[in-house]
Amino acid sequence: MTRLLVRYRRPLILSSTLLLSFVLMTLQVRSLSPLADLTKRILLTTISPILRIAEVSKATTVSLWKEYIDLRRVRRDNQLLREEVRQFRVQVGELQEAAQENSRLNHLLQMGSTSGTETVAAKVIGKDVTNWFRTILIDKGGKEGIQRHMAVVAPEGLVGRVMDVTARASRVQLITDPESSIGCLVQRSRVAGVAAGSQAGTVQIKYLPLMADVVVGDRVITSGMGGIIPKGIPLGKVIRSSRPNGALFQETEVQALADFSRLEEVMVLKRPPEGDLPSGGGKRLP
Amino acid sequence: MSILLLALLGVCLLQSTVAHRLAIGGVQPDLFLVLVFGLSLSTRPELATVGGFLIGLYQDSLSGAPLGLNAFTLSLIGFLVSQLSRQVKTAELGARFALLFLAGITSGLTTLLVLRFFQVFRPVASTILWTVLPAAIYTAILGACLLALPRPRWMRGLGR
Repeated sequence: MTRLLVRYRRPLILSSTLLLSFVLMTLQVRSLSPLADLTKRILLTTISPILRIAEVSKATTVSLWKEYIDLRRVRRDNQLLREEVRQFRVQVGELQEAAQENSRLNHLLQMGSTSGTETVAAKVIGKDVTNWFRTILIDKGGKEGIQRHMAVVAPEGLVGRVMDVTARASRVQLITDPESSIGCLVQRSRVAGVAAGSQAGTVQIKYLPLMADVVVGDRVITSGMGGIIPKGIPLGKVIRSSRPNGALFQETEVQALADFSRLEEVMVLKRPPEGDLPSGGGKRLP
Repeated sequence: MSILLLALLGVCLLQSTVAHRLAIGGVQPDLFLVLVFGLSLSTRPELATVGGFLIGLYQDSLSGAPLGLNAFTLSLIGFLVSQLSRQVKTAELGARFALLFLAGITSGLTTLLVLRFFQVFRPVASTILWTVLPAAIYTAILGACLLALPRPRWMRGLGR
């Protein structure tokens, strides 16, 4: 019997497994026994924890991968945004610059309109390169009708007068130049004097009588004397006034209203100088 | 035996998590069949039969099939492949592909027959054409490639 079993073990095992499978199927299909369900449940129970672990691992891997992808995307977006911010900053800078320029030009135009004369707006394109003179170079010249001795103003007040004219540029002598002399008035007391520049870069009022009513803080305006600079343009504010013993005149120092170190745009008042001043074709720049 | 169990676990995991992603036209490869095939090539018919039965039971437990359907089919496949591998050369890729394809067809037809026996009728021609045949081809290609892969020393018992 054993020999027979050993000899036919293969067909026996095959038929046994096939029969067992068949029985299991029959039981389950006919719902006669809970044995098939129990077997299925046992098999599922043995495999389900591993499947769950695998599923969790898969979900974790997928999540990590997505986070990695997200991180890369965030990094790329960050770079793009940084570039955009940089561009926007440049644009904001340019817009602020334009707004400031607009504001300055508005002030200039207002000043030009109050002066009652035709005006030419000009950009400051250069400053004096020595310590001996205080002049600026502007980008408008004879082509725009600018002539020598025309007054040049800034929104704050008088800047100076045109010294030399070329076709497309002009040199302007500032009121702080040692060679500059402009007739002026103390606005409050109407005392007249001459505002002259100095080597130190300040403006002195010369020829003010000792008894003249001048106090610190008084505003000084142009007097219109001499026919070069129109009357009433703000020039500066008295910052020091003294009466030295034995002197014939007061020593008065004025702070110019315009800040010449930050001057960018100016307005040339196209009122031709009165009198016999040489205002024709203009002196050529070297 | 431990190798078989590990391989079985691996196949269970792959079949339930990855195989559906490999599906082409709704047909996914039968990795359980590949496992039984590999086992059958390297063991005696009686062990291949029992192995096929166990693997089939696990496949049944993971599917909606009645318990025993795949056990029946795979134990038969295990026995037949193991018997056949003693008479024909199975070391070559082409031979393995052909044998695996035959195993797939046999598995499909057997399943169809058993289902019919239990009054579960499926249209024979279209089932063979659109399910049995594509699945057999896909499983044969994938299985032949998998069995040709170099395996670690402890797995060399499968599909030698």
